[in-house]
Amino acid sequence: MAEKKSENKWVNHPLVYSLSIAVYCTAWTYYGSVGIAAESGISFLPIYLGPVIAVPLWIIAMRKIIRISKQNKISSIADFISLRYGNHRFLGALVTIISVLGIVPYISLQLKAISESFEILTNTSHSLTHNIFYDTTFYIAVILALFAAFYGTQKTDASEKHRGIVVSAAFESIVKLVFFLVIGVYVTFYLFDGTQDIYDRISKTENFEKLISFNGLESGFNWLFMIMLSFMAIFLLPRQFQVSVVENLRERHLKHTIWFFPLYLLLFNFFVIFIAWGGKLNLGETANAEYFALLLPLQNGNTFLALLVFLGGFSAVISMVVVSTLALSTMLSNNLIIPYGYLSKFSKADPEKNTNNIKTIRRISIFSLIILAFLFYRSFSIELSLYAIGLISFVIIAQLGPSFFFGLVWKRGSARASIVGIIIGFLFTFYTLILPFTIQSLTESTFFVENGPFGIALLKPYSLLGVDFLSPPAHAFFWSMLFNTITFLVVSISFRGNYRERNYAELFIDNKNYSSLQDNAFVWKGEAYVSNIKNVLNKFLGTERTERALDLFFRKYDLPKDTEKADARLINFSEKLLTGSIGSASAKILISNVIKEEEISLIEVLKILEESKENISHNKNLQEKSKELTQLTDQLKNANNELIFKDKQKDDFLDTVAHEIKTPLTGIRAATELLIDDEDEMPSELKQKFLNNILQDSDRLSRMINNILDFEKLTTDRISLDSKTHNLKKSIEKTIESLMHIANQNNISIDFSQIKDVEMRYDEDRIIQVITNLISNAMKFCDKANGKIFITNKIAGNEVEVCVTDNGKGIPMEDINYIFDKFYQSKNQNTKKPEGSGLGLAISKQIIEKHQGKIWVENIKNSGARFVFKLPLNN
Amino acid sequence: MKRRHEQKLVILSIVLFLCFNVPIILIFDINYAFFGIPILYFSIFSFWALSIIISYIVLKKHYE
Repeated sequence: MAEKKSENKWVNHPLVYSLSIAVYCTAWTYYGSVGIAAESGISFLPIYLGPVIAVPLWIIAMRKIIRISKQNKISSIADFISLRYGNHRFLGALVTIISVLGIVPYISLQLKAISESFEILTNTSHSLTHNIFYDTTFYIAVILALFAAFYGTQKTDASEKHRGIVVSAAFESIVKLVFFLVIGVYVTFYLFDGTQDIYDRISKTENFEKLISFNGLESGFNWLFMIMLSFMAIFLLPRQFQVSVVENLRERHLKHTIWFFPLYLLLFNFFVIFIAWGGKLNLGETANAEYFALLLPLQNGNTFLALLVFLGGFSAVISMVVVSTLALSTMLSNNLIIPYGYLSKFSKADPEKNTNNIKTIRRISIFSLIILAFLFYRSFSIELSLYAIGLISFVIIAQLGPSFFFGLVWKRGSARASIVGIIIGFLFTFYTLILPFTIQSLTESTFFVENGPFGIALLKPYSLLGVDFLSPPAHAFFWSMLFNTITFLVVSISFRGNYRERNYAELFIDNKNYSSLQDNAFVWKGEAYVSNIKNVLNKFLGTERTERALDLFFRKYDLPKDTEKADARLINFSEKLLTGSIGSASAKILISNVIKEEEISLIEVLKILEESKENISHNKNLQEKSKELTQLTDQLKNANNELIFKDKQKDDFLDTVAHEIKTPLTGIRAATELLIDDEDEMPSELKQKFLNNILQDSDRLSRMINNILDFEKLTTDRISLDSKTHNLKKSIEKTIESLMHIANQNNISIDFSQIKDVEMRYDEDRIIQVITNLISNAMKFCDKANGKIFITNKIAGNEVEVCVTDNGKGIPMEDINYIFDKFYQSKNQNTKKPEGSGLGLAISKQIIEKHQGKIWVENIKNSGARFVFKLPLNN
Repeated sequence: MKRRHEQKLVILSIVLFLCFNVPIILIFDINYAFFGIPILYFSIFSFWALSIIISYIVLKKHYE
């Protein structure tokens, strides 16, 4: 069976999900729309405009509903609503009853369509015999009932997926759309000469304007209410809830559904008017407009095409009936039959028997639903149009709307309010919609509709209190929804909330926050034992599944396996486990039978929830804090390493300085000694040489000490710049001039022909110092044999860039980051001993930075290093 | 999906609701046809198709 193929990839394709949602289009769409388009024009459309408006909202609303349902193992709309209001048993049952009342006429609509289209196809006329055994519809209904009963109930856990049913619904959605498009194209382009042709011909007929116009402001209300009605239906219809929520495999399938489903509806609706008009033109006013799609090909002898159309309609019916009855049977068994009758019996029997019992209950429910629908069809549907029956269903189902939609956003809504609202809404629907046609078909008198009960005109069912401009469904929708909503709101705020109700309200509405709490979000206090709960689970899941589930639970929360006392988490967990099989209401009752719960106040519930939420955010905060700490430690480590490195640099520097100071000092001392000792014998040239040496050495000494002092001043900000307007070109030339003789001595050529005139403000002495440093540095490192130095400058935007490039070996990568650090001496200096103090570049950097500039170095591939500094122009 | 992009779809839904209802829909209530499609139908189908394209683009771009 298809159920087993669920591992197949295509079965899980998002398109399957989107197509299964098209179970919205039933025989009502397939045949009914054409009927409306032919008779009253545009009003077939709002039934699809509601969903088109609703579907973009799914990105928020449906995602929330799906999440809540998955977390709580919800298997139907009745479960959803009753769980929201504190897992209320009666509310679940009420929702079930309303759904059955709404869907039975809807299924009867399908039976009517099948039987009528079958008659048209086989050309038998329907004579309403009193013996139902001569009625083909009866046999169709029985076959459908048997098929649906055995097809839909292969598993007891209703929250598990029915992939087979979903895939076939998706397939049927393709069939019905394709065949409807085929007949649309056939009518428009084969029987007629395109859309223009149909329009030209139909526009000459009488009353045509009525079909393509809005007919005034009053019908705007009808239109609005029908849109609101279908907007609600797409969420609330049990079969829609089944396919879009219960059967949803992955949230991300919504990504495709949100655009695909409206597209599907658009395609389905496009040819409706042309089939309707084509039928009107070719078949005249007497034929039943609802079956134009069948009658047109038959009239032209295309029996095969008619058969295709019939099959399309048939698949629309099958998918609707199967999915609807599946959804309803789950609701009937889980929310009505088991909690209200079978519970005590179940808790005594063994698991296998229970499973079979649950299946039997569901099968009988499905079977009786379809038979009920048949009886409804026999008694009422024959006179009503498909469209009218469909709308009755919608209005009844819409009574769940206020509880459902407010339940998603408003925490104060209560079970009591929901029950009273639904009942009052239903009573209004009953009076304004159901009663009139019932009386009419039972007594065949129109007195009630035309004059009101006992002739009281204000109570006329189709124009209550004189509101007479609405169509009966819109009228019923307006009044019932008005009183339903107001009652719901007023009752909700009139009584203090119940703690359990509020617990679930928080869970549903604040879903994002609570989803991380999982079982912790359930507040419960009292006394319970694991063994008792285990016994209950055994009854329904069997020992093996129970053991497995509990094992998982204990491991998840890190509890010892032999825990005796059960906590709130286990209770919530077990309730969820049971919910799939017997519904949330029964699960709650069963579990609460074996535990002793203490009453908690509403305030306490809110406090506990707040605390567990805080705990979670606390944990999150702690995690973040520890992350921050680790980062901080890393930073400290780095800083420490840097300090050690700097310290070592300083030591090295002191060594260098000591050495440097010692060298000239030794020279001075030696020369002085010699001069003193051999004062008389020494020739005067030699004496002169020694004296010169002493002078040079002391110069070097004082230069070094000056440098150190200079640097110290610069770094401690004890120096201010003497900025004046100068010509940069002239400053550079001045510098080079003073260095030229050293360059000539060392065979180094300095190229500064590219320098441009730039007038700007700077401290000339300081900048000359920088350039001197850079050039002497370049001389130190450039090629020994054929040294070349290029000096250039350029204006880039608001800055002047000066480059000093040499043709040496370039700077080793390990030095590039430290070269401007004080005390730094490259390890690979190609001189025997370090020249200079190791402060030149560090001083240059300080000076440039004081000028708000930047200095850096880059290696040029294969041709040395380039020192660059940048100064802002308008400094 | 970021909040902002989700809200694009919410606004789309609101705009659709307004476009499909009185009084805006009455603007297109003209007795004239476009390729054989009466203006009223044509405008409804156009809004409809436009909304499909917009949701497709928004979801394609922003749904993670």
